[in-house]
Amino acid sequence: MSRVNPISEIVARKEIVVCAGAGGVGKTTTAAALALQAALDGKKTAVLTIDPAKRLASSLGLKELTNEPSKVNKRKFTSAGLEMKGELWAAMLDTKTTFDEVVTRYAPSPAQAQRIIENRFYKNISSTLSGTQEYMAMEKLYELHADGAYDLIVIDTPPTRNALDFLDAPRRLTDFFESRVLRWFLMPYMKTGGGIFKVANVAATTFLRVVKRIVGSDVLQDTAEFFSNLEGMYDGFKERAREVAHLLQSDATSFVIVTSPAEDSVTEAMFFAARLNEAGLPFGALVVNRVHPKIGDGVDVRPSKLTKLEKQGGRAQFLAKLIDNEEAFMRVVRLEEKNLDALARKVPRHRWVRIPYLEQEAIDFGGLSLIADQLFEARDKIS
Amino acid sequence: MQIDEFLDPKVLIVSGKGGVGKTTVAAALALVAARHGRKVCMAEVDRKGTLPKLFGGGEVNYQPRELSPGVWGLNLNPEDALAEYLRVQYHMSRISRVFRSTHFVDYITTAAPGLKDILVLGKIWYLEQDRDHGGGAHGFDTIIVDAPAAGHMARFLQAPQGLADAVRVGPIRRQSEWLNEMLTDPKRSRVHLVALAEEMPVTETLETSTALDKDLGIPQGPLFANGIYTGLLTDEEAGDFETIASDDNIDELCAEAKVANINLDAEDLEALLGYARFLKARRDIQSRHLRKLRRGSSQPVIELPFLFSAGLALPDIETLADVVEEQVEKL
Repeated sequence: MSRVNPISEIVARKEIVVCAGAGGVGKTTTAAALALQAALDGKKTAVLTIDPAKRLASSLGLKELTNEPSKVNKRKFTSAGLEMKGELWAAMLDTKTTFDEVVTRYAPSPAQAQRIIENRFYKNISSTLSGTQEYMAMEKLYELHADGAYDLIVIDTPPTRNALDFLDAPRRLTDFFESRVLRWFLMPYMKTGGGIFKVANVAATTFLRVVKRIVGSDVLQDTAEFFSNLEGMYDGFKERAREVAHLLQSDATSFVIVTSPAEDSVTEAMFFAARLNEAGLPFGALVVNRVHPKIGDGVDVRPSKLTKLEKQGGRAQFLAKLIDNEEAFMRVVRLEEKNLDALARKVPRHRWVRIPYLEQEAIDFGGLSLIADQLFEARDKIS
Repeated sequence: MQIDEFLDPKVLIVSGKGGVGKTTVAAALALVAARHGRKVCMAEVDRKGTLPKLFGGGEVNYQPRELSPGVWGLNLNPEDALAEYLRVQYHMSRISRVFRSTHFVDYITTAAPGLKDILVLGKIWYLEQDRDHGGGAHGFDTIIVDAPAAGHMARFLQAPQGLADAVRVGPIRRQSEWLNEMLTDPKRSRVHLVALAEEMPVTETLETSTALDKDLGIPQGPLFANGIYTGLLTDEEAGDFETIASDDNIDELCAEAKVANINLDAEDLEALLGYARFLKARRDIQSRHLRKLRRGSSQPVIELPFLFSAGLALPDIETLADVVEEQVEKL
């Protein structure tokens, strides 16, 4: 029975593919391999990576990846023996630059944009506030899509431990900007706050004094200035966040969950699948990386017999070691199957693609295309 | 090296790229310390991790809880640490509770980014100093920190220095100096980096290790290479099998098995050979990266086995702890 490979199906029909999953499961490699194959097949494809993996740049023959996509030289493919029918572009998210662009877009005047961009509190946001990277990744994705220059955009997501972080980022960030607690607390520092300051209670004043002692008063001043400058821009932010949410929920987008068969990443994958469902985001496929191969059905030798074989010495002893080795791997295979069975109850197997541990690493161009072969051809054999 | 010498610094900070098994290694170190009579505290930094699961369930909160005999766990988050700091330093427990439930810590730590790390390190310092601050002193002998991912490591450990540079006088200045003294004193604390024998984890680990040595002056101990296929076959044996199990010998091997009452056919032998090949191929890859890790770091490398039973439970951690003890003694 032949079944459509879910990855081929997505690539044929969608404009955006978002790869998501726990850290260390091969998300970036999966995104790159997927984009490579789509490009080879004739699409003008852009891959946007979050992970600053220098190796990815060099394996694509690029000196470095920047916030704007660069085109991978066609000769690179020819020399690897691949026929390139489309185009492959690659970019790496620069959170700060992307955020600057957002601020410039929504600020009422260039001067105000400049004041925000130069503010110290603002500079810290892009590097330290959790959720900013996620938000900007979505922002950049939206911008690339709106640009209309690509047939397909593939993006990997930040290695968050919690899938919620990534899905909730836009809302959390707008909440952050709008919080009342903050205004209340910064009132003495806000230019307009003098009159209302009396309302703030003694506790707040005491508290502020302590905070001032901890972080310094110039830091509070910066913070207050940042929020005053941001006044009037919230609607723009919120509107854009809504548009991004719409795009992600639309038919143009598909989410690919990447996992390994290990228990913790399977748990994360199940959680993520449930969250996609709740948020009305279109799930497309599940990629299971790093699967130990199942070779044969297991020889199942009783320990007493194995000891006997071992004692025969020579080749027999050697054979016993091989059986031991095989049994060890079969234990892992069975354990992985158990984890994956649990996953199958949440995500139907016909949406899966398994990528076994390859006997070669996927760190160069040839390796990527090997993974791509697996992605587009491998099918779940059990279902 | 004697285990007691290995456990000499009170604070052991374990860090590594996501997915390398950092928590597992931290837990194994905790068991080693507990076996040697120490009262151990494992601190998970700023996330709900796998720690409670490794020790059979339940929740781990800011108040240390005994997870296994001699091993205590706590979840070290900046919100609770700030509340505690305010309570201890400024006797402000009520107001600090109010702010914990909002974005407050986000604002403060965005305004002063190093502060989050300072709060976390400050709590570690409290534990190290064994200060009694309301809950009674715990008397921990060893504190194992399951630290942020290696990428954030430099920022995390540099925070006290950064704050000391920024704040010229006052209690904050003094406190950040105390933290820095703890972090740079090899008798008091040490960093252990964890890697997998793969391209990216090795590259990142070496970058972090060099930064610790050269830029931060923060003492580190042996690196841990996790998930090494130390199966039952040596590289040589796995290679030899290609000749021994060649087509000509299949019948003879099956006959040998038969003597031990084991029924094997050609297909079974093919599977056995398949796994021997797989082991060899994976190990070749790992050996290459292990060589790179050894060459590139100032520290010895302790290899931890891939766990063929890896369901990540206490017995697995016990196994790893055995290996750690064995390997440390060989150093």
